[in-house]
Amino acid sequence: MEEVINELMGTIMSNQLNIPALQPVLDSVSQLPVVGLLISFILWKPVFALLICPGLSTVGILLLFFPWVERKLCGRIQWRVGPREIVPWLGGLIQLLADTLRFLFQEVIVHKDAHRPYFLQFAFLSFIAALLPLLFLNAGNVIAIETPYAIQAMLALVCLFPFFILGLGWASNSRFAYIGTVREAFMYFAYEISFIIAVIAMVVLYGTSNPLEMADKPWGLILNPIAAFTFFVGAAMATSRMPFEIAEADQEVAAGPHVEYSGIAFGLIYVMCYEKAYILAGLMTVLFLGGGSGPDIPGITPLLGNDLMGIVWFLIKTIIVLTTLFVLRTIYPRYRLDQGLNIGWGAMITLSLIALALSIVLVQGGIVL
Amino acid sequence: MKKVTVPEQSTVEKAVRHAAAIGVAVKESVYPLTATVQYPRQRKKMPDNFRGYILFDPEKCINCWECAFICPANAIRMKEAPNKKYYPTIDYGRCIFCHFCIDSCSGGALRATKIHDVAYKDMDEMLTLTEEMIEPPEIIREDKKLVEYQIDEKDLRLKKTREEDNLIVEKAPPPVEIQMVSQCIDRASCIGCHVCEHVCESGAISSSIANGVMRMKIDTDTCTGCGLCVKECSMQILTLVRK
Repeated sequence: MEEVINELMGTIMSNQLNIPALQPVLDSVSQLPVVGLLISFILWKPVFALLICPGLSTVGILLLFFPWVERKLCGRIQWRVGPREIVPWLGGLIQLLADTLRFLFQEVIVHKDAHRPYFLQFAFLSFIAALLPLLFLNAGNVIAIETPYAIQAMLALVCLFPFFILGLGWASNSRFAYIGTVREAFMYFAYEISFIIAVIAMVVLYGTSNPLEMADKPWGLILNPIAAFTFFVGAAMATSRMPFEIAEADQEVAAGPHVEYSGIAFGLIYVMCYEKAYILAGLMTVLFLGGGSGPDIPGITPLLGNDLMGIVWFLIKTIIVLTTLFVLRTIYPRYRLDQGLNIGWGAMITLSLIALALSIVLVQGGIVL
Repeated sequence: MKKVTVPEQSTVEKAVRHAAAIGVAVKESVYPLTATVQYPRQRKKMPDNFRGYILFDPEKCINCWECAFICPANAIRMKEAPNKKYYPTIDYGRCIFCHFCIDSCSGGALRATKIHDVAYKDMDEMLTLTEEMIEPPEIIREDKKLVEYQIDEKDLRLKKTREEDNLIVEKAPPPVEIQMVSQCIDRASCIGCHVCEHVCESGAISSSIANGVMRMKIDTDTCTGCGLCVKECSMQILTLVRK
């Protein structure tokens, strides 16, 4: 029994997050009986990845504040003000916190025609499904499950999203939800293939699908900008952002698959879109922007240590990608369904195949690596 | 038949246009313009001839009823005051804010203001009596800034200044007030029906019987020139002339 515990402790202590600035504090805290164990458990890299970054806490904070950032920024660009009334001197910063409270106490209405068990289950299951890819997302060298097939696993889990949205629409059993769901299904097939080919192009280019090894390579954005562009447009389609907001088009089908939901079930679906965007932005950072790698900053890097700096760089890059993804809606109007399908099956697949060919040429020509 | 088609553009042209759109977005996110006037906190600057709430000054009213006659929405009704004069009341449920009443007011008793945010609890309350029209209504001013739209060469800009707009416009009185007076132009046709005497609010018209003949008399000093007798005279022999 004691051997097992010792072995476990050895595993935990050998893979700790190293923060030079906090080391004296951590050393003194680790002497305490239970708290020390708890803290060293949290600072164990896989658990840290799950709980703090890029896992639950980061997702939570981003979900609380990113809709505000999006609304405020889009408001600025479109000559509006954005949310303001809740805490005006902070510019309405805690708007989503207030919304969340409202969602929590609102009645979840299940209408008569809905398929009751699925209607309720899919709302919560889809939130969990959107969280799963975080297992394989790395921030710097912090990752929950380290495997050479992390990118493929993430891709497979990302491709699960639309099934849950289809489930939502099917269980809702209303005409708007039905139209939205069919549109979602159409769009799903339109972007998925080119999206996957773009990722495969990067895997071919790097010669590995382990995100930790990808961080040391030059940026994919510079090596294969076509793949980066295809991936970005695919991400916009996958998250139903504005130019491809075909399934959820408010003016046409009133939020599509989500139309029948209310209360906390709607709240979960509402933030799921942002969660998806965060995960795809994280994947874009890993694939095209060098993950958590970044230049050393004198004075800060020695203090925070390499592990934490990786997280900081990862978050900065991810937030930049996210912001770019969200600002798209101020620039482009919505495409029609046929235009979206045309782009997906036409230009996107062509571009992704060109990107794959470019990757093969670069690798075979020995230009890279 | 002419068919409308998408304009032909080369890929380069399209790319340039996309880049321009993104450039505008970046520019606006850094240095944005705004089109929003945050109303209770900021107030848009209205022009001096803004057609808003109507104020009334009984001192200047000459009881000509012109406002009630001209009102296209029938919002103005005349009401008898304790001093036996008739003053206007406005039903804001009907008023269309055309301000014909103000334009037609010969004495300058009705006055326009910039007040446009008065709330009523019900329809009955919207009937504003003469007493309520003398003083401006009580409004809560929350505005800290005055917003003015400015149109430069390309864009619309908001100029915000920290001052309060004066909602009651102090207009200069008309330069010369032309005093009118009622006059009978054809005494021989008078049938002595006494309508003008009854209708006159200021008691300027009096009648007397001398030698079995009815004679009407208009006192030019008390006549206000309101023109009511001119409107009512059945023989149409009265007219307004300069004093």
